[in-house]
Amino acid sequence: MDYVILSMTLLAIGIYGLLTKRHLLKVLISVELIATAASMNFVLLASSLNKALGEAFLILAFSTDTCVTGIVLALLVIASKKYGTCDIRKLAKLAQYGTIEGNEKSNSKIEEDVA
Amino acid sequence: MILELVAVGLVVSAFLAVYLDGAVYSVASLASTVILVAILYSLNNATLVAVFQLAIGVGTLAVLFLSSEMLSEKPSEKKPLKNTFLAVAVALLLSIPSIFLSVGTNPTHVSSSVSFPEALWNLRAIDVVLQGLVIMTVALGIAIVLYDKEEEKD
Repeated sequence: MDYVILSMTLLAIGIYGLLTKRHLLKVLISVELIATAASMNFVLLASSLNKALGEAFLILAFSTDTCVTGIVLALLVIASKKYGTCDIRKLAKLAQYGTIEGNEKSNSKIEEDVA
Repeated sequence: MILELVAVGLVVSAFLAVYLDGAVYSVASLASTVILVAILYSLNNATLVAVFQLAIGVGTLAVLFLSSEMLSEKPSEKKPLKNTFLAVAVALLLSIPSIFLSVGTNPTHVSSSVSFPEALWNLRAIDVVLQGLVIMTVALGIAIVLYDKEEEKD
């Protein structure tokens, strides 16, 4: 069995999720899968080389993973509370046309545009 | 044989985590992915990394489960069960190359005398920097929440 191909498969699944899913939580899950693919490559190659350095480095890499998760979850909570949606296309439209309070475009119009 | 089964389960659960519509089901699939990754690590003699992976994975999954339960809307239309089985079949197909193909990355002659705790100790400077990063992220999260509350008051 080849771990490089296994981690490439996981990476491909993560990229598929990033490109096709619109919900911010799904995007976060895809990012988690990509991070898992990268770390798996690291630790399994390090194990086959008998090098503990790779495994030690991976444990440090977990902290950056946690930071990314924390930031995306904070964005998720804020977007959901403030705009009532976690759809990244709707949020992109909001960024394009201004906020809901800005009266530049109504919420329903934005939803029509997205549809 | 066990390694191959774990690899197939890993690909299937990862694909379902992305494919399934319900956020809770996705998080459950991600949980099985995390557990299978930890099993794969421990089968490859990286037991400490497996323990760390499980510990961090459980924390992340708990937060993800809560936020998915609170924030996600119910999908308007359910995907038929046939589509889910089709997705599992696609994931099984995707897992085949990792079992039967090889890119020749199995070195046999390299070895190192550095032990795991020694390597971790040698990386302590990076560890301190990354701990600072985590603390900064926590501070940023608190600042965002407080800013949001201040805006609500105004």
